[in-house]
Amino acid sequence: MSARAARAFATASAAERRVIAVLGVVGLLLIIGLLAGGIGPAYLLYLLGLSGMYILLAVGLNVQWGYAGLINFSVAAFFGLGAYGTAMLTASNTPLGVSLSPLVGLLVGILLAAVVAVLIAVPTLRLRADYLAIASLGLAEVIRIVIQNQRGLTNGNAGLRGLPLFYGEWPLIGGLVDRLPTVLIHEVSLGPVTLLGLRLGRSVWVGTFNLLIATALIAVVYLVVRRLHRSPWGRLLRTIRADEDLARALGKRTYRRKMEAFVLGSVIMAIAGVYYAHLNLFVTPQNLAPINTFYVWVAVILGGAGSNRGAVFGGFMIIAIREGTRFLGDLLPATITVGVDLIDTTYATVAANFAATRLLAVGLLIILVIRLRPEGLLPPEAELIWPAAQEEADG
Amino acid sequence: MADPLLRVTDLQKSFGGLTATDHASFTVETGTITGLIGPNGAGKSTLFNLISGFLAPDAGTVQIAGRDLTGAAPAEVAAAGCIRTFQTPRPLAGMTVREALLIGRQQQVGEAPVALFRMPAAVTATERENIDAVETIASEFAIDHLLDAPATDLSGGQLKLVELARAMLARPRLLLLDEPVAGVNPTLRNTLAAHIERLHAEGVTCCIIEHDMEFIMRLADPIIVLDRGRVLMEGTPAAVRSDPRVIDAYLGGG
Repeated sequence: MSARAARAFATASAAERRVIAVLGVVGLLLIIGLLAGGIGPAYLLYLLGLSGMYILLAVGLNVQWGYAGLINFSVAAFFGLGAYGTAMLTASNTPLGVSLSPLVGLLVGILLAAVVAVLIAVPTLRLRADYLAIASLGLAEVIRIVIQNQRGLTNGNAGLRGLPLFYGEWPLIGGLVDRLPTVLIHEVSLGPVTLLGLRLGRSVWVGTFNLLIATALIAVVYLVVRRLHRSPWGRLLRTIRADEDLARALGKRTYRRKMEAFVLGSVIMAIAGVYYAHLNLFVTPQNLAPINTFYVWVAVILGGAGSNRGAVFGGFMIIAIREGTRFLGDLLPATITVGVDLIDTTYATVAANFAATRLLAVGLLIILVIRLRPEGLLPPEAELIWPAAQEEADG
Repeated sequence: MADPLLRVTDLQKSFGGLTATDHASFTVETGTITGLIGPNGAGKSTLFNLISGFLAPDAGTVQIAGRDLTGAAPAEVAAAGCIRTFQTPRPLAGMTVREALLIGRQQQVGEAPVALFRMPAAVTATERENIDAVETIASEFAIDHLLDAPATDLSGGQLKLVELARAMLARPRLLLLDEPVAGVNPTLRNTLAAHIERLHAEGVTCCIIEHDMEFIMRLADPIIVLDRGRVLMEGTPAAVRSDPRVIDAYLGGG
């Protein structure tokens, strides 16, 4: 096992090694945080589950922008359609007065996103790329405001709460989270280091199952997009991204292909929304804030446009950076005394509000990535020929 | 007599107040290399855009092999066997030359996403054929050593070669070449000329826009001269060279 891992590391490209190193550092910090008591296990699982949501969103945007060059600024809106699609049917305080299965919610969320995607794509995809960008910017606000104001459907600003767990009604695992025992791990002292004890109760089991659901969703979505990408379809979309006129001159139906990519990407975003709704068990119009669209764009740019692996990595890193800055603030000393009043007070303010600097950190990161690695940390490579045909050719 | 491969009749196109194509009529007969020349702004590229479906004419008709394709979408024109190239080819970022060439093949089963899941075997079979076709054409054009290179690494001349090879992969009856040797060094220019002659000998009809007079006079017969959107004259290279109206048009007289 370790020999295989070592071989895999030896054959990895420089970019892959860098990413493995980054993930290793993040993982180590998380383990230290967990053992030192900085992060509770349930919260850690929640964060990992949340990164699953960003991974799905980034994979979806990558299909649109990374494959086809479609600029979509309404990621949060398609996410919101998924989240509300399921919440309206499953929440305990839904004005619709129904209580359906989250699986029905998943279907409705996907359907809503697909319909809205087609409606926005039909008038814009025949025009220059900028028009979709502009229209989607407007669409995001329209959908957010509609959700905010259609109280009879969405409960408005109060939000929808009391959603069931995604797997709540499933046979076997549905009631399992309530029946699993609470496990206590006692404090261990290793010389000067004391590892704090952990209490693994219901919330940990819930988080574990949510993480499993996230993993399953990501796995299915990833397998689908990978097959689509390494194919004549993916190749044609890449051509459209680089030079759509060339594709048209060679007889390609570019409008149709762009439509497929746009709808597929939007549907993946809706799946992320459905997943989030049953992770958080509470949705509000705040979830559709433009900042979420921005985070997903950062994730795709960070990972590398057109790279599925990059989108997964980027989606994970968004949460690592966003939450990491929060913990970093806790680790910094609250005050320093240099003697100069201005420096002392400025430092105290920054340290006390360190979490608020995370947007600054994300902005800085984006500038660095674009400056140093314009193709992202895990750029796509040799992925546009149908693998089965290649194997035959090589053999 | 059989229909000409391309017949343009009384074609008109204006952009605002500017008349780019003004009652242009001409034909490209099957089996010829027809040259299309004219001073800057004569409307040559507009004409290609009108024929290939990138622009819709205000009036007039375009027929390919007797079929009316006026205002048809580029995909329909391509399906009718007419493939065009562009004046300034853009390299396909993020693709290898092999992938960039594969795009040229028509009717790829795997371009429909559903087929990738429902009939992967058919996708594999056509993809295999297409890879073979790319390798064959690459060796004909002596670019097989470039197949694995990133398309963005090619020189301007190599891009033109790849573009010509890619257009041929679409198996066209009529090739519309927009300045195939613009910005290409003299050696590669001769190579490109030889390739176009070879394709012509294999039965492909060509219509070429080119500013390089030596190149076009050597390859094309007949030559059509455009000026301010109109067909000024049509004739053999010798006739064009000695026609005072052509000299006038180029020197900006009148």
